[in-house]
Amino acid sequence: MRDTSFRLLTVDLSSGEFSYSTIEAVDHMAYLGGSGLGAKILFHELTIELPPLNPQAPLLLITGPLTGTGGPAVGRLAICGKSPATGLWAESNIGGFFGTELRKTGIDGLKIVGKASKPVYLSICDDEVDIRPAGHLWGSKDTYETQDAIRGELGDTKTRVACIGLAGETKIRFASILCDHGRVAGRTGLGAVMGSKNLKAIAVRGTKPIPIANEERFGPLRRKANIALRNDMLTLAFREVGTASATEYWEHLGMMPKKYFSAGVFEGAEKVSGSQMVDTILTGYKACHGCVIACGRRVRLSDGVERKGPEYETIMGFGPNLGIDDLEAITRMGEWCDRYGMDTISVSNAIGLAFLLFERESLNDDDTGGLDLRWGNAEAAMQLVHEIAKREGLGKQLARGAKAFASQHGVPEMAAQVKGLEVPYQDPRGSSGMALVYATSPRGACHNQGDYYMVETGMSIDEIGIDFLNRRAGVEKVANVARHQDWTTVRNSLGMCIFANVESKMVVAILNEVMGWNHSIESLMETGERAWNLKRAINMRLGLNKDEDRLPKHLMKELEDGGAAGYAPPLDEMLKAYYDFRDWDGETGKPSKDRLKKLGLDWILPEIWEAQA
Amino acid sequence: MAQPFPSEAWLNDFETLLNSDEQYAEIAKNWEGDFMFAIEPDKGSQDENMYYYMDLWHGKCRSAKTLTQEEAKHAKPAFILRATRSEFINVLTGKLDPMQAMLTRRLRLEGSMTYVLRNVPTVFDFVRCASSVGIVE
Repeated sequence: MRDTSFRLLTVDLSSGEFSYSTIEAVDHMAYLGGSGLGAKILFHELTIELPPLNPQAPLLLITGPLTGTGGPAVGRLAICGKSPATGLWAESNIGGFFGTELRKTGIDGLKIVGKASKPVYLSICDDEVDIRPAGHLWGSKDTYETQDAIRGELGDTKTRVACIGLAGETKIRFASILCDHGRVAGRTGLGAVMGSKNLKAIAVRGTKPIPIANEERFGPLRRKANIALRNDMLTLAFREVGTASATEYWEHLGMMPKKYFSAGVFEGAEKVSGSQMVDTILTGYKACHGCVIACGRRVRLSDGVERKGPEYETIMGFGPNLGIDDLEAITRMGEWCDRYGMDTISVSNAIGLAFLLFERESLNDDDTGGLDLRWGNAEAAMQLVHEIAKREGLGKQLARGAKAFASQHGVPEMAAQVKGLEVPYQDPRGSSGMALVYATSPRGACHNQGDYYMVETGMSIDEIGIDFLNRRAGVEKVANVARHQDWTTVRNSLGMCIFANVESKMVVAILNEVMGWNHSIESLMETGERAWNLKRAINMRLGLNKDEDRLPKHLMKELEDGGAAGYAPPLDEMLKAYYDFRDWDGETGKPSKDRLKKLGLDWILPEIWEAQA
Repeated sequence: MAQPFPSEAWLNDFETLLNSDEQYAEIAKNWEGDFMFAIEPDKGSQDENMYYYMDLWHGKCRSAKTLTQEEAKHAKPAFILRATRSEFINVLTGKLDPMQAMLTRRLRLEGSMTYVLRNVPTVFDFVRCASSVGIVE
């Protein structure tokens, strides 16, 4: 049996020193990997006193035990730390090939602390770790150019590069980290953390095999799982029509936000759908490492250049959210966000708020510098993308995020954000489960932990008690949502894409053969619950108040028409039931002592309960 | 008037209803594609597969007929939808959302997913009309 122990490389950019360590096997099995194990590794380092952009704030890039194994859609890497956007737990995961290549160097995680005296990039080639100057890239190369330049310098086209753009360099609170020309760790602003360390990029190239404990038994399972996934209906929809495949369906259900969550109907929905992309600009598909889904889009615009096509969130954010029905304009705004290294959700959300305030005359021409922010004006939206990245004009205010922008203009409840993170594009009035997900996610408004909107459209997971319930169901949905969060946490921790519709028993079987473990569905679900509570505890240490588990009034106002008309989720009742189900204290919002003990989290009791008793 | 499902009488009523429905004619005015519905017996049933063929074109049904097993074998419609009788009835009685049924493979679609996803309103209105025929148990 191969050694599958978790190996962590720690690099101190202040001193230039680096070291290797191994995670204890018992922790590896209890926290799996990805952001779950990331929370375990970073727990003691993330304190309320340590600002996210302080040199000593850690940045952790961490794979899952399945990353790069060729299992079903398991090419992902998590990036964790403290968020400059929220001041809370930060995590964002990224596909492409970077995570796989990192594991091929022989390490499973990379922790970066300190700050280089000048811009640098980190090169890891098998056992060689090198900190190299990046002054020639800083301030002059966007994220696409940076990847190409570093690959050229290192002379190996197989090198994979994760990097930041202008937004990360200037520490914009929603700066992202990109790899593989358009795969993005977009959320929670970890690109700014990289920038605060003068770290422009990380290049990895490895030649080592990724260890599999029981290769002979894993091989047939992997083939079986990939064949099943390839033929799955969701896979077919994502491959053929992309992640925006359900646009028309979601418009019908009222799950697709329009005009910054203020309208129930958008006439141009069919002009920005995945189907429309297929019929107009699509030229091909692009997949992450070993993935049979291939949800990535390649498109050709009027300039004749083939490029990355936008995915659902970018389409909705720069499309219906702004009243825009022009796929070419949407694609270009998405590309500029990528090149600057900015999260398309947060950027489009902030711009949407500006459009709404302009419509309601809370902003005037003087505020916008003469920009006509009427719904559907793609040129004005594009101008704001540039202004945000460069902190110019109105963009200087928007670069502080929707929450700060709304407060500045005296309308804090208009910002579609939770805990400082801008809400993505699944309208909670069309899907009550997403209201609870947004309110309770450890990183603020988040659609990846879990993607309960999929359950709301019928993707129940019966074997672990996640049933399909009416989209307007209230407290009866709470246990479903909590279990789904736990299961999504498991999948994220494993390095598995949330789009992979793989049976839970197959996930368990694959994991056990890869790692030589003996997990069951029940024990794996417990790892999800453990990580969920650990992240909650981290947030409590970072100053989270339970009253922040809420949605702004703007998102709770009933719409007049469309599929979500006349409904707002009963969030207060749902939250109360959720606290009960989670066994979280009603007064403080902390996980109870008993629940923490039951989950094997005794070791955080002194930090969570006794220190503040 | 309600009819047994599946039956030729049910199909005939559906065709008549579809061709007289103004809302369907408007919503489906751009639809171009014939369908074959393969209605499979429920587990334990002694019934045989039944096949409906419907030529749907610009908001009208140009032809509707049942097919024999042999005819179904050689048919080349743009779309085939396969499911058990129970699942079809779940959709026709409003217990199951048709798009959800297709995405979860309870209704198994063969044909362009892109085209179906582009025409969600047509799908729902087609089902609305089908539901109004009524089913005699």
